Amino acid sequence: MAASLVRFVRNGFGRSLNATVRPKDPVTHTQLSEFGEYIAEILPKYVQQVQVTCFNELELMIHPEGIIPVLTFLKDHTNAQFHNMTDLTAVDVPTRQYRFEIVYNLLSLRYNSRIRVKTYTDELSPLDSSVPVHQAADWYEREIWDMFGVFFANHPDLRRILTDYGFEGHPFRKDFPLSGYVEVRYDDEVKRVVAEPVELAQEFRKFDLNSPWEAFPAYHKRKSLHSEFLFGLLLASEDWLLPQ
Amino acid sequence: MGTSTLERLRFPTSLSTSGLSTQRLMECCKLIEYKTYLQALPYFDRLDYVSMMCNEQAYSLAVEKLLNIQAPPRAQWIRVLYGEMTRILNHIMGITTHALDIGAMTPFFWMFEEREKMFEFYERVSGARMHAAYVRPGGVHQVCRPKCKPFQSRIVLVDMLTNNRIWRNRTVDIGVIGAEDALNYGFSGVMLRGSGIKWDLRKSQPYDKYDEVDFDVAVGSNGDCYDRYLCRVEEMRQSLRIMLQCLNKMPAGEIKVDDAKIAPPKRSEMKTSMESLIHHFKLYTEGYQVPPGATYTAVEAPKGEFGVYLVSDGSSRPYRCKIKAPGFAHLAGLDQMSKGHMLADVVAIIGKFLSH
Repeated sequence: MAASLVRFVRNGFGRSLNATVRPKDPVTHTQLSEFGEYIAEILPKYVQQVQVTCFNELELMIHPEGIIPVLTFLKDHTNAQFHNMTDLTAVDVPTRQYRFEIVYNLLSLRYNSRIRVKTYTDELSPLDSSVPVHQAADWYEREIWDMFGVFFANHPDLRRILTDYGFEGHPFRKDFPLSGYVEVRYDDEVKRVVAEPVELAQEFRKFDLNSPWEAFPAYHKRKSLHSEFLFGLLLASEDWLLPQ
Repeated sequence: MGTSTLERLRFPTSLSTSGLSTQRLMECCKLIEYKTYLQALPYFDRLDYVSMMCNEQAYSLAVEKLLNIQAPPRAQWIRVLYGEMTRILNHIMGITTHALDIGAMTPFFWMFEEREKMFEFYERVSGARMHAAYVRPGGVHQVCRPKCKPFQSRIVLVDMLTNNRIWRNRTVDIGVIGAEDALNYGFSGVMLRGSGIKWDLRKSQPYDKYDEVDFDVAVGSNGDCYDRYLCRVEEMRQSLRIMLQCLNKMPAGEIKVDDAKIAPPKRSEMKTSMESLIHHFKLYTEGYQVPPGATYTAVEAPKGEFGVYLVSDGSSRPYRCKIKAPGFAHLAGLDQMSKGHMLADVVAIIGKFLSH
């Protein structure tokens, strides 16, 4: 009881004493913002938004037609040199018009920095494959095709990589249920594995964890501004600290 | 592009151990979206199931970045200590099973006894030999009192392979990949270092207390399996060095972050104080809410760069959690690395990156 009182007093008097809060690095923040502005000046046709998160991660939002130009620039330009494609993912946000957000995470060994390139698409529009730029994208794009259904044009070998051979559906989409639609079992009569509609022994328990109190009220106020942008889910300013 | 050597041999990726592991990865990604942040932690133990605490560390760092907190100093030192112990565990497992695949049975038997001893350390600190769920966002779970010095590990036992004629014949000039190709294929970790690129996330983008420990990075020159093997053995020695420094430098102090809205209270407090009871209840049922944002956080796991791309929407469940496993890109490069080699060499090459 006394310990919690002391904590309250300490928090009330000044966060500089609190070792819990992550230290900020304003130097890296300015460097990354300047670099982001530099890229936006060089590629104004494709770069739509640049932001640096409060924990110093540079994010570049581009138009889907700019995938190859931007990635080539980031790989080959002498001030960028992002030779290593660390990761290539997709995020499904069904409420948006372009529901899939494709995220490229790149790493520059020369400048010891990372950058995230984001673009968008929906179920039917294909994207350009970035395999000509980074060979690493090969399997990552196959995975995105398999899991989300995003088609990559000019991919050397776009086929399923993780799901079963006759599997239908794209599992990572938000409308695909966690348990799936079919389950497989060995049928002794026909002497092979058969696929049948899934039957759960227990109903899937999904708890409604939404608290009646708003955890981050500032986010709600800002939502009306950001909803106009295509990337309105994610925020970059420094206000998102712990609620005090 | 033409069919790769693998397809002509009908080498079904889904059946190889690596394929199964990546599949497990994908299932975990979907499952994590339905769990709270604390409930999702044990998945990371089980992904690369021989480097447990390193994976947990990656996830914990990602969540801490979004929460804008950092673990207290003692917790960071504990994480480094156990991270390095995990690195030794993983390298022992990797090298000896690779040797077993190639035909050498003795290192496997002898070194697994060393692993057993390290599992005892895991068990003493967390209660579980392998999947500890010990490193959590906010610090570590329980108090740890590492009094015993780490045994001067019998790495010399693994050295029996280094000059062995058969081992050298099987691994020298096998699976050669150049530096530029390695970067292009998205390799990381030992796969890059074996090809001569001095890149270690613990040195270049240090996390926890890696900037306060002194260690060397082993770099190869040929980019073949033998160089990567030598890098791993040297990394084991450096891990021992780091562990000794951790034990000497570890400060006293708390091991969980101070914020009661994130780190659950001790059980003794929970049983006496009403506020602690409420916090305990809320944290273990609903979980802590993480501010909206996205982060890609990577650590130097023994197999390479293990990264977590975590997207949060402000609730207590992750919106999207993509796990970048180092082995995925390495396995994708298998086709390039095994061109011109014999079928038995594929075993040597796979063993050398042990994708998970």
